Amino acid sequence: MNPPAAPFEIPPIITYAVPAFVLLIIIEMIYVRFAKKGGRYEYRDSATSLAMGFGNRVFGIAFGWIAVVAYFWVYEYRLFNLGWTWPVLVACFFAEDLAYYWFHRIAHERRWFWASHIVHHSSQHYNLTTALRQTWTGVLGLSFIFWLPLVYIGFPPLMVLMFSSISLVYQFWIHTEMIGRMGPLEWVMNTPSHHRVHHAINARYLDANYAGVLIIWDRLFGSFVPEDDKEKPRYGIVSQLGTFNPFRVAFHEWIGIWRDVTHAKKLSHVVGYIFGPPGWSPDGSRKTSASIKADWAKQQKQAPPPEAVAAE
Amino acid sequence: MQFENPFGVAELIELGGSAAVVLLMIGVAAILGFRMSARIDDGELTRLAEAEGVRVDGSVIAKNGRTALARLSDGRVMVARVMGADVSARFAPANAVSLNVKQRRLNATFADTGFPPLKMRLDEQPAWLNEFSGGGGSSK
Repeated sequence: MNPPAAPFEIPPIITYAVPAFVLLIIIEMIYVRFAKKGGRYEYRDSATSLAMGFGNRVFGIAFGWIAVVAYFWVYEYRLFNLGWTWPVLVACFFAEDLAYYWFHRIAHERRWFWASHIVHHSSQHYNLTTALRQTWTGVLGLSFIFWLPLVYIGFPPLMVLMFSSISLVYQFWIHTEMIGRMGPLEWVMNTPSHHRVHHAINARYLDANYAGVLIIWDRLFGSFVPEDDKEKPRYGIVSQLGTFNPFRVAFHEWIGIWRDVTHAKKLSHVVGYIFGPPGWSPDGSRKTSASIKADWAKQQKQAPPPEAVAAE
Repeated sequence: MQFENPFGVAELIELGGSAAVVLLMIGVAAILGFRMSARIDDGELTRLAEAEGVRVDGSVIAKNGRTALARLSDGRVMVARVMGADVSARFAPANAVSLNVKQRRLNATFADTGFPPLKMRLDEQPAWLNEFSGGGGSSK
């Protein structure tokens, strides 16, 4: 059975958004330059981010069809014929955002998927160009499998792809330090404040706020951490890369996996290096997010409360 | 199933346009003066080490202040490198670093491929570097 045709022509949403991306980046640069607040820019860092975005497009053209073929193949075995109706569109929006949440969470918690996603976190800056610092290996790393359950349920593949594009466009503007808090929107929407926490490497902020569009998933699944005005986020990855070279940015974690796997002594170590949390090692000598957070929590317990320090 | 070259004329035009836009934005960033360059000094190394909960026991800093290598109180090494306005620091066990000092040129490579090799010219070669090369890290 052929998939039902969309009742309207789906525009190339991301392509249409590009002029707005460019304009907003230039506005942010000018604001940061002349207001001397609202973030930081460094032209080599931005060049790397933009090169990663460009490479993402190249790899998308070269390999994106694999994801599309997988979507349509799974759709052949769908459970329901949901079609294109308003209730289905609304349901698909929420389902896609939930799928994104779990993709994103697992991309941080399992090294195989982290090897692609680490690219997006590799800048020590946080501005609108960081949003475009995207992986080159997403499709080849099978990131798209997290959306396959949606088409298996019966959401049309083009509908899922449409909401994925909308989510990606939405997530562009939240990569900024120009915008503080957004009042009641902070309760339900992913905002610049929530996403700054997600990009931060401070121990208290690690592995938090995986949301795409709606922050409700983090609140629901216990991964929500609010931005604390007393602790400014520091950005990047726990072991900073120390390079602007786009090729090293794109592939270093894959090479790291390869090197670890080829030196592994047991099959269980191979599995751990590939599917364990980033930083996993057989002897526990490397740091994982969990161990960093545990060390931090221990330090917090040992440190005297602020009142005691003030009284001294 | 027949596979076609995914790079048609439309895709090449899109990529050409994207490349032009990327160059435009990098140009705007450069014109606006976002070309900061930090410098590494002893104070910066101390701050980075303290953030990791350790002390600096010895360090060498490149003359241009752009790279540094430090021995830490817990036996690890810290490599610091200027990344624009930031300093990127990486901490590694001594046995994950391979050091080579020849004619006052230090060359360090890391087991972790994420961090590029460190090359720097030394004004002087402190004794701790020899000790470190001979003891903790592997020295070629």
